[in-house]
Amino acid sequence: MKVTPRTLDEAQEDELRVLLERRAERLRELEQTEANREEAVHWVAEFPLGEERYALPLETLRAALPLRMVTPVPLSAPHVIGVLRFQGQVLAALSLASLLGGHGWRQDPAVLLVVERGDGELCAVDCEAIPRPLGLPVGAVEAARARDEGPILEVFSDQQLVHLIDPPRLFTRAGAGARHGR
Amino acid sequence: MAVDPLLQGLVVGFAAEAQEVCQKVTMDLLDLERGGLDTEALNKAYVRLGRHLHTLKGSAASLGLQDLSEIAHKLEDALAPLRASVQQMPRAVVDILLHGLDIFMLRVHAHADGRGDSLPDYTAALAQLVAEAPPPEQATAPSPTPAPATPTPAPAAAPTPATGLGFGAHPTMEAPRDESHAGADADGAGWRVSARQVTTLMREVERLREVRLRTEERSRELDRVVTLLARQGLLAETAEARTLLSGVGRAMRSDGEETADIVDALEEGLKAITTRPVRTILEPLQRMVRDLSRQLGKEARLSVVGAEVSLDRRLLEKLNGALVHLLRNAVDHGLESPTERERAGKHHEGALTLRIEQQGNLLFLESSDDGRGIDVARVRQVAESRSLVPTEELARMNDNQIRDLIFRPSFSTRADVTDTSGRGVGLDAVRAAVEALQGRIEVASTLGQGTRFMLTLPVELGSSPVLVVRVLDQMMGLPMLAVEATQLTRMNSLRIARRRAQLEYKGQLLPVVDLGSRLGLRAAHMPNEGQPLMVISAGGKRVALEVDAVVGDRDLVIRPLPAEVRDVPSYQGAATLSRGELMLILRPSWLVSDPAPAASLTPQSRRALVVDDSLTARALHRAMLEAGGFTVHLASTGARALERLLADTYDVVICDLEMEEMDGDEFIRKVRERPETRELPIILVSTHETGRERGRAAGADAFLSKRECASGRLLAVVLDVMSRGGGRA
Repeated sequence: MKVTPRTLDEAQEDELRVLLERRAERLRELEQTEANREEAVHWVAEFPLGEERYALPLETLRAALPLRMVTPVPLSAPHVIGVLRFQGQVLAALSLASLLGGHGWRQDPAVLLVVERGDGELCAVDCEAIPRPLGLPVGAVEAARARDEGPILEVFSDQQLVHLIDPPRLFTRAGAGARHGR
Repeated sequence: MAVDPLLQGLVVGFAAEAQEVCQKVTMDLLDLERGGLDTEALNKAYVRLGRHLHTLKGSAASLGLQDLSEIAHKLEDALAPLRASVQQMPRAVVDILLHGLDIFMLRVHAHADGRGDSLPDYTAALAQLVAEAPPPEQATAPSPTPAPATPTPAPAAAPTPATGLGFGAHPTMEAPRDESHAGADADGAGWRVSARQVTTLMREVERLREVRLRTEERSRELDRVVTLLARQGLLAETAEARTLLSGVGRAMRSDGEETADIVDALEEGLKAITTRPVRTILEPLQRMVRDLSRQLGKEARLSVVGAEVSLDRRLLEKLNGALVHLLRNAVDHGLESPTERERAGKHHEGALTLRIEQQGNLLFLESSDDGRGIDVARVRQVAESRSLVPTEELARMNDNQIRDLIFRPSFSTRADVTDTSGRGVGLDAVRAAVEALQGRIEVASTLGQGTRFMLTLPVELGSSPVLVVRVLDQMMGLPMLAVEATQLTRMNSLRIARRRAQLEYKGQLLPVVDLGSRLGLRAAHMPNEGQPLMVISAGGKRVALEVDAVVGDRDLVIRPLPAEVRDVPSYQGAATLSRGELMLILRPSWLVSDPAPAASLTPQSRRALVVDDSLTARALHRAMLEAGGFTVHLASTGARALERLLADTYDVVICDLEMEEMDGDEFIRKVRERPETRELPIILVSTHETGRERGRAAGADAFLSKRECASGRLLAVVLDVMSRGGGRA
């Protein structure tokens, strides 16, 4: 069989094609990874409560306010701190530590987070510091959701445990006057 | 057949107008049927009826709705002999006219929905109507028995103006009785807006109100700055700044006043858009009561008190169904037959009453009858036979609880199912409707004398006068309507027996209620000489309410409370004070009610005082201690806590170390100075571990960091300290 040797130009073209294909493959992989990474993140507002880290889904958070102008409501349920005005509405301010069934705290809460309860209404919960945005892997959140039936999902992220609050589960139960543990 | 959209629009507009006119005709017919009108009133009623029917005829004809025009014409014919002789209207004629109106409205709605072509031939209904009508000579006679009439040929209706009455074919030409609400929807010049849009506007108005409050606050701050500058001496360098600031302050006050006017105007405007008087829903109810009592062979008269009260249209629509149920129930179950009533010494005509009253943000609606009342024994028997409640539970229930069983689904005392009752659907639906509106329903009944259903519902619109009082640190509002009198305590006007005080008031002895202890803020308290006492009246009961101070009266918009505290019976809402903070409005019916015997009020229960300047910390400590069976009182400063210790006795004190005015170690020192509290167990808490040494030095019995205050831990330490009888750690 007669073999026709490749010319230099042809050989260079082949190498160039292979090289370009490899680069394209790497870019596709990179793009895919980035896309996966973006899709896989569940944004939350993370804050400390005592020695632990808690978080609320960012889409449920409506505002963070200084904890003042709250009127106590005598004879209300123990988890109710009081009522306050927010954009023309009267909201209840609730103690998160109390809602969670009694919890130590490092510093007296000075911030109120206005949260959508999940039934179209708003309420406010106290926290020790202004929360910071944090991305949690969707996979980890879904796994926690499948595992935990209560209002708190234990999500592991970067070797740390974050207690993700599920507002509809938490506040629906609070509305019924029940106490909560994890 | 293709419908001209313009014409169809006119027909829809006509339907709304016809509905209103028919409602007025119905009300007049029911008045005429009841009788008791003098000649002048009769004459006026007949003239009105004639105008209304003519209006209907003319408007229908002008739109080419020949069937409607002819029906209206026939109704005019039925009325004509009575108009001529001005006599009481016989029931038979009322029946025919009401029946004719029903046919008229059914066809109106069909035309408005574009179903006019599929309507059955009206001539048969018309012929029947004419056949049932009494002849003119009989119609004018008072006999209620209808007699067959000779049918008269129906003349072609045309929009001809009636002679001598001065009105034309168009309904808007006549003056409606309810002018404020008739025009807007009917003339086609209005807008259709969703409830959500209006609610959003209401919230924006409330935000504007908050802006006004903030403007007032800024204005006050500016005044303080000017005063401070003036204190620095009247230096020439600051003179210009002071003048400028004074000017800005004046301008801000003026802006604040204008904003207040705008807020008021907006709220009034929104109220006009979103409310309508209760009387607008009464016509179908009157008609329903009349028809049902006729059907059941009973006689009933519905009276309404408070028909002029304007309510949120959505609320009114939702209430309508509940009122229908209540009134049907009253006619069917409550009222006896005329013979039975006369035997029982009652008037043969049963009296139904609807009473509507708005107090602040609460609507009170009462539906009562003077019928046979609820037979508790029968209700108990039915509940048992249908296994609605376990037998043991039933045996424990008192009469009120048994009476409440009538609100249970499927409950009916009827053994058979009729057109009107027996299916057990009714009162449970009423309760569901009321609860869906965040209201509540109660029933009171006396056997043989009648039944009263009382509905309490929150309403969102309108301001009301409120008396602001102070108890300890907290301002509270009292609806002025419930405040009958205010006076200062004179010990010689009190009667004190067994640690209970009573006030002599207008020949009555009223129980003295300490608001602070009723709210769980302090232990029971006897009024001191000169302390304000308010006579509160609600639901026929009165109490003398003891408060710490009367701040003054305000006209406030009372807002409903959020879901988390809505069920606390003490409050009916909250209102914003001038500095922007919320104030709770007390519910008078709660104030006059007997306090529930709670474990916390028994002398055996242990009492704890929590002293912390953090609202959330106080709430948390309270939650933990209450869970452990303690009665907990709160103080936000050391000074307030010392006052509490002078007035009350406590088993333990939980005190924050770092507080602004008086810190924990100073507080402990002051407590230890008094012989009465020298041994009182005190637990010091702090966010800092370093407080442990300070606590020990100050004489605390135990120390806990707030991070250790998890559930159970605080309680364990408290119990430990108490068991040691103090005993410093």
